[in-house]
Amino acid sequence: MGEDIILKVENVSKSYPGVKALQNISLTIKKGEVRALLGENGAGKSTLIKCIMGVEKSEEGTISINCEGTWKTPQTAAESKECGMHANYQHVNIAKELSIAENYYLGRIPTTKFRTVDWDLMNKESRKIIDKFEMGVDPRSKISRLPVALQEMVTISKISVNEDIRLVIFDEPTALLENDKVEILYRYIRELKSQGVCIIYISHRLEELMKICDTVTILKDGEYVDTKNISEVNKDMLVSLMVGREVSDLYNIRHIDYGEELLRVENLTSGKKFSDISFKLHAGKILGFAGLVGSGRSEIMRAIFGVDSLDSGDIYIRNEKVVIKNPQDAIRKGVGFLTEDRRKDGLALSLSVKMNANMYSYDLISKAGFISLAKETSRAEEYKTKIGIKTPDIEQYVENLSGGNQQKVVIAKLLCRNPDILIFDEPTVGVDVGAKQEIYKIIEMLAGQGKGIILISSYLPEVMGLSDEMVVMAEGRISGVLNKQEIEATTEEDVLRLASASV
Amino acid sequence: MKKERSGKLNILKRTEFSLILIIVAIFLIAAFGTNNFFTSYNLTNIMKQCSIIGVISISATLIIITGGIDLSCGAICGMSTLIVAMGQAKWGMSVPAAITVALAAAIVCGIYNAVIINEFKVPPFIATLGSMTILRGLIKVISNASTIAGLNKAFGEFASESVLFIPKLAVIWLIVVLVGFFILRFTTFGRNLYVLGSGQEVARLCGISIRKVTYMTYGIAGFLCGIAGVMLASRINSAVPTAGSGYEMNAIAATVIGGASLSGAKGSVWGTALGTILMTLIDNAGIQFGINSFVMEISTGVLITIAVIIDQLKNKKA
Repeated sequence: MGEDIILKVENVSKSYPGVKALQNISLTIKKGEVRALLGENGAGKSTLIKCIMGVEKSEEGTISINCEGTWKTPQTAAESKECGMHANYQHVNIAKELSIAENYYLGRIPTTKFRTVDWDLMNKESRKIIDKFEMGVDPRSKISRLPVALQEMVTISKISVNEDIRLVIFDEPTALLENDKVEILYRYIRELKSQGVCIIYISHRLEELMKICDTVTILKDGEYVDTKNISEVNKDMLVSLMVGREVSDLYNIRHIDYGEELLRVENLTSGKKFSDISFKLHAGKILGFAGLVGSGRSEIMRAIFGVDSLDSGDIYIRNEKVVIKNPQDAIRKGVGFLTEDRRKDGLALSLSVKMNANMYSYDLISKAGFISLAKETSRAEEYKTKIGIKTPDIEQYVENLSGGNQQKVVIAKLLCRNPDILIFDEPTVGVDVGAKQEIYKIIEMLAGQGKGIILISSYLPEVMGLSDEMVVMAEGRISGVLNKQEIEATTEEDVLRLASASV
Repeated sequence: MKKERSGKLNILKRTEFSLILIIVAIFLIAAFGTNNFFTSYNLTNIMKQCSIIGVISISATLIIITGGIDLSCGAICGMSTLIVAMGQAKWGMSVPAAITVALAAAIVCGIYNAVIINEFKVPPFIATLGSMTILRGLIKVISNASTIAGLNKAFGEFASESVLFIPKLAVIWLIVVLVGFFILRFTTFGRNLYVLGSGQEVARLCGISIRKVTYMTYGIAGFLCGIAGVMLASRINSAVPTAGSGYEMNAIAATVIGGASLSGAKGSVWGTALGTILMTLIDNAGIQFGINSFVMEISTGVLITIAVIIDQLKNKKA
């Protein structure tokens, strides 16, 4: 029995200044076991992972790994690696200016007998890994030139480069992957499993966990809640364990009858990015956009919002033809855009919650360029309460908030202008389940107020669960449109098929 | 109102607070440690010295908040000095006319920077390095590398006059600081500077016209450097080809010491003003103590390094 256990975490505690991140966590993982690690943002998952990997040192407790019968307690990240512990972190963490092959061989570049770099060997071996993971790129390609989904695949496949693999930690590995590539990751996990590797899998996608994990450990507020067999639980149980309260079907929100037509686009085309796109958005409707990463959904919205240009096509807002040349035009016409990457272009990370909430709409609270400071504060406070942004005060820098709360600040920012048309591009990426629910409730509230909502999501359960009507896109074209009944009648596989259709 | 004092404002206050402490400490050390420091002649001198660099530093602050940098601010100041002097001495203009032309030229220099940066997408560092070199050359060409003297008498005396013990130059500096503070705190334009400093993409998606903000910022910066140039001309009662040389380094240093970050979105005019005072004080105290002036040169570099290190540490904590 003892032989079987690979990882032992005993009474581990860790605090950061002012925060008790982990309290007395103990768990064991067996050979070949795929353990899901579940918990809201701030529950302690990342800290636990860092302690296990030796990146952070726990104040109390020990972490030991079974290396062929001997128990070792690695103290540093380097020692962990030597013991066969590897991790794939949430944010793509590789040398972006180097090639794929160079990244695979980071730290152990092979040399020829003349002591020069053996590029041939590197590229040949790298190609084997690339083929195994079906990436379809040249090993000499620079990481920064690859789409994010492929970058993520590189970090995942990098693990297979190691000879000694005893434990692998995956932190949200599918967040950035394309839907059809996720199967490759599952295949790799099953392969590792059969080799006796134990795996810790962190994900907020409950459907995924149910599919590939054997057991699940739940953390809440830095404390250990429970470990269960996947066969004993269902989604709702998991969510209540995580969140500590009764939770019903995640995607169950109220839908209202539609009102007037708010937005209509006809035959939008932009080079190779998308062509011949037409759809309508009504008040109170949630129009979902499903599709693979790169199918052109974000590009369409960016064009509608005036960030990118259109080659041809017409946009009508409230039946009136409009020409949108820049974001200012779109904003003034009552469109709010929550972008895919809030850290890049949705938030001013080093500025306060107050400034971020207001920065879309200072013109509304100023006369002749002079801002009403009172309104600036009261508006931020108002939305903080209305939307439920968790922050000690509105002067807090936005970069210190959790992913879910950051997203809420973006929503507050948009709502300050009271737009009628809201475009949400992947609103729950990097947001934990508890906050996800809150965002869904916000979407429900906004739709109930008669706003038209466009929801882009690559996560099929989410977009299928929330939409009144769903557009499926493939390679820049609309490959299908489903209404509510059709959505309920179809499976994820069917939608995926539509999304992968060669048009 | 009480709520405003927490969080971000608190941190800023800490930078300015520690600066004030250090300034007071140095002041006391120099006052008690030397004979000549605490004399009205020396103190007025310090204030006058602060004023010119202080005005340029405010222009640097605005630009650094947007995430840019202006290496040409010293040169623009020098160009303005030259033109206001030439206007009076060589072109037969009245003082107001000479000042107007000098300020207009300074604004043009600022707009030139904006054009290169905004239209041609040249990084601000390179763009202003180029304009600095061009302007220095132009100054030498126009003045034939000689000193211009023979300015209007009243103009030359302005710099030595005081209002209630405060040099008139310092009054101008104070006004500039107040206007800067006003812009940053109370106007949409000021807020937009911080947003732009956070990232171009963020600013664009907020509907902010990056072009407008860039032109206005570098234009205003040019204008402020122009004012500094006129002040300088009055102070030295002439124009020399090297006028304003090296002031850009002092200005950037003062801004960073004052709490601004070169990556943008952080900074305040009060911090910059205190930074200017601190640097000038240290320089002056060094002279009073008879410390080798080359050693004093090192002090500026050390100051900036310490300021940035402290800033980094503060960011880590947050």
